[in-house]
Amino acid sequence: MSVKYIPVQWNRNKWFYDLVMLIGVVAFLVLFLFVSPDLLSHEFPINPQVHNARAFGACAFVMLTVILCIGPLARIDTRFLPLLYNRRHFGVMTTFVAITHASYILNWYFSFSKSDKFSALLFANTSYTQLAGFPFEAFGIFALICLLILAATSHDFWLKFLTPPVWKSLHALIYVAYIAVVAHISLGILQDQQNHVFTLIFIGGALAVAVLHAYAAWLDWRGGDEVATQSEGWVEICGPADIKNGFARIKLMPNGDRVAVFNQDGKLSAISNACAHQNGPLGEGRVISCLVTCPWHGFQYDVTNGRSPAPFTEMVPTYNLRLTDGMIQVDPEANPPGTYVEPVAIPGWKEVPA
Amino acid sequence: MNQAELILLLVKIWGGVGACVALGFLTFGIDRLDEDARGAYVFRLLIIPGVLLIWPLVLWRWYVLAGGKDLWARRYQPRRNSHRVFALIMPVLIVGIIAVGWSVRQTWPVDVAPVQLSEPGQ
Repeated sequence: MSVKYIPVQWNRNKWFYDLVMLIGVVAFLVLFLFVSPDLLSHEFPINPQVHNARAFGACAFVMLTVILCIGPLARIDTRFLPLLYNRRHFGVMTTFVAITHASYILNWYFSFSKSDKFSALLFANTSYTQLAGFPFEAFGIFALICLLILAATSHDFWLKFLTPPVWKSLHALIYVAYIAVVAHISLGILQDQQNHVFTLIFIGGALAVAVLHAYAAWLDWRGGDEVATQSEGWVEICGPADIKNGFARIKLMPNGDRVAVFNQDGKLSAISNACAHQNGPLGEGRVISCLVTCPWHGFQYDVTNGRSPAPFTEMVPTYNLRLTDGMIQVDPEANPPGTYVEPVAIPGWKEVPA
Repeated sequence: MNQAELILLLVKIWGGVGACVALGFLTFGIDRLDEDARGAYVFRLLIIPGVLLIWPLVLWRWYVLAGGKDLWARRYQPRRNSHRVFALIMPVLIVGIIAVGWSVRQTWPVDVAPVQLSEPGQ
């Protein structure tokens, strides 16, 4: 956001989202700790500290799995987009649950050593050359560091400071962290799990993540944004009748940028398809009163100048465009963010009734 | 000093340098770089852990922004293709890791007798 930073931005929708998430976490823990503690049982009886550690660990895994399913689900079906809206709060809460899991482990298994407990954690098992008995804790430590980085850099300040592409690359650590968590569980708790309810949750969740991401990538590959053709220095988009009123046509330009050309009541405007916030696909949003709303987090921009309405100051680049021989053409050289471009009127345009 | 102590020492050094960077960045650097941070102080407490963890990246961005070397066009170039890489690698690794995990289990199938993996530690 481009008003003064505050620690946490909450609104009614985010309060509701966080409340549902918190209820889900509490329900999961109550189920695994009190209602049906046998779900996490093992070959030998376990004490409350170990049981707590396992419950919080299982909870963190399920939360991480849900987080990783939200992205591809939103790509596959836009009805899942509301889940994307406040995913960062979900991630931060997951990190706290994972820290709690790590604390129980650290303060039970490694607290009674003559060594410092952190040192004990690192050298208690160093059998890195064998799969059975592999020090699976290393995967957990790595995943926790990744989650800490993601949670610690989740404030909007970091998006603006690092730029969305760098921030998104940093936050791709979530994929690496998830693979590390899968290894942590596979070579750890799975080795002596006796009640296979959690085993089924684990394998089902991990496979769901794998399949959803592969499917979303396949859909993106098959039906991704069309590549625009270039003609005498201009890029051809489509005919004006191909863009519905209030919507856009997205094209991938030869220089790699994506442009979104909007039809607003018979007037055409072109802006960058990448939202200034998290590079969300603006061209998938709808224009209402000259403002397009990003489908990811609701940031809005005037399609004629790429500027967010006051008091916000976000801006996206705009593009010059023209109509030639019934074809919309865009100048591939983007204007600096916030540059006004006179909309191009479509001759004889009449709104087609829905 | 053993290897575990050396790793912990490196972690402390990393955090110590991060604390110095955080002190400088959050007291005067941030105000010059980001107009939205001017007059906003409470949120800076939330920024401290991030600086401690990724201070080299903070120093790099501080250098780029303070020197006016930031290219605005790069802010609008999402790296969408990187997801495809993860989307291809993740399923393979997830299935492979779970399969390996199952294959080395000693308590299932039930007729596999457990074996001692290594000598007890000293």
